[in-house]
Amino acid sequence: MPGIEHESGALAINRLEAEQEELKESIGRMREQLDKYRRELAANTGMLKEISAELERQKMMAGLLAVEGSGVQVILDDSSLRSVSGTADSNDFLIHEYDLRDVINLLWMAGSEAIAVNDERIVATTSIYCVGSTVMVNDTRVSPPYLIQAVGNPVAQEDVLRNPAYLKEFKRKAELYGVQFEVNRIRMLTLPAYKGGFPIHYARLGD
Amino acid sequence: MKSRSAQLSLTIVCFVLGLLLVAQFRTQRVTSRTLLSASSADQFVIASSLVENNARLREEMEALEEQLGEYQQATGRAVLEALVEELNKVRIINGLVEVSGFGVEVSIDGPIGVLDIQDLINELRNAGAEALTINGERLTLYSVIASTEDGVMIVNGMKLSRPYILQAIGQPEALETALLRRGGLIATLERNYDGLAVSVIKRERMVLPVYKGAIEFVYASPIE
Repeated sequence: MPGIEHESGALAINRLEAEQEELKESIGRMREQLDKYRRELAANTGMLKEISAELERQKMMAGLLAVEGSGVQVILDDSSLRSVSGTADSNDFLIHEYDLRDVINLLWMAGSEAIAVNDERIVATTSIYCVGSTVMVNDTRVSPPYLIQAVGNPVAQEDVLRNPAYLKEFKRKAELYGVQFEVNRIRMLTLPAYKGGFPIHYARLGD
Repeated sequence: MKSRSAQLSLTIVCFVLGLLLVAQFRTQRVTSRTLLSASSADQFVIASSLVENNARLREEMEALEEQLGEYQQATGRAVLEALVEELNKVRIINGLVEVSGFGVEVSIDGPIGVLDIQDLINELRNAGAEALTINGERLTLYSVIASTEDGVMIVNGMKLSRPYILQAIGQPEALETALLRRGGLIATLERNYDGLAVSVIKRERMVLPVYKGAIEFVYASPIE
């Protein structure tokens, strides 16, 4: 029966053609979807670049990047005259945590852009306190001599530090009891990045 | 004449329509006839080329499916989300976004110096303060607390008037304990200054504004 065979051959072709039609439609749909994803990804990549750049900027401000630049180096050290103390308070011969705080605050006032104490970078959450006679910066023990490095305009920084209106008590201690206070301008300082964490548990974005 | 001409145009219309219908009918017939009129050998060739073509189409579809799958995993999106989260955290640290949360409010009235306020801020930071303001001025790493010669306090370049209200977001009990502990900073300040009025109140929800200043780096540049 060649006629029937012939007829079924035509049917097979129709079926194959219908299948082809469906496949083409699917492929068309998928290509459209892919294009959509590609465009989205391109937009994301653009955003990724923008956000990365913004993150770098914010990290720079937060003290999370090592920096270099001109500035001053301040050395604070306990007095070597300690043993000779007769009537004076023994505290007058030592560098205290508040001395470090006051010098650092002055350095910020002088427009410093980055500060480190004995290689501990000062950041927004830094507290400088003492446990007994031990000074802690970023919960890290630091011991004398204290080396404060501050990147900024060396002239402005030195002027503020040497201004007699500031650090009156401390300068008196230096003069009378031999506490060391040395300020040097440096052409190129290198400050390490802050290596601690910023635990944020209570502050939420926005109101 | 009028009716005749109308009749004539109608005839023409019918004739044209008839032609069109025949043409359409013919096209249909021709299509189905090509398939039927094709020899079995031709049908075989057509069918096998269709089978081949459909196989290729299916292959293409599989490749597209795979690509779509890759995009749907959306690794780019995950990276983006992680970056945004980190960025927001650092912005909180830098005081460049408004924040809200639990904490304490410290009110200080009376004679008090810049250094004492600095010590108080240091104490709050030590107790885990995550964000701080004084009289609505957000305190950042670069905030300077100074005073004019006649003792007016200046923060972020703004003059403050008394009472000084410090707001600190953080664990309220830890912040309160750090300030009020026996022999602590507030006790010392109260001993040192006559007529100093200090109060510490735990707050459930405070909103701290953004730092309005700008920080520019002229001397420092990042390494690497």
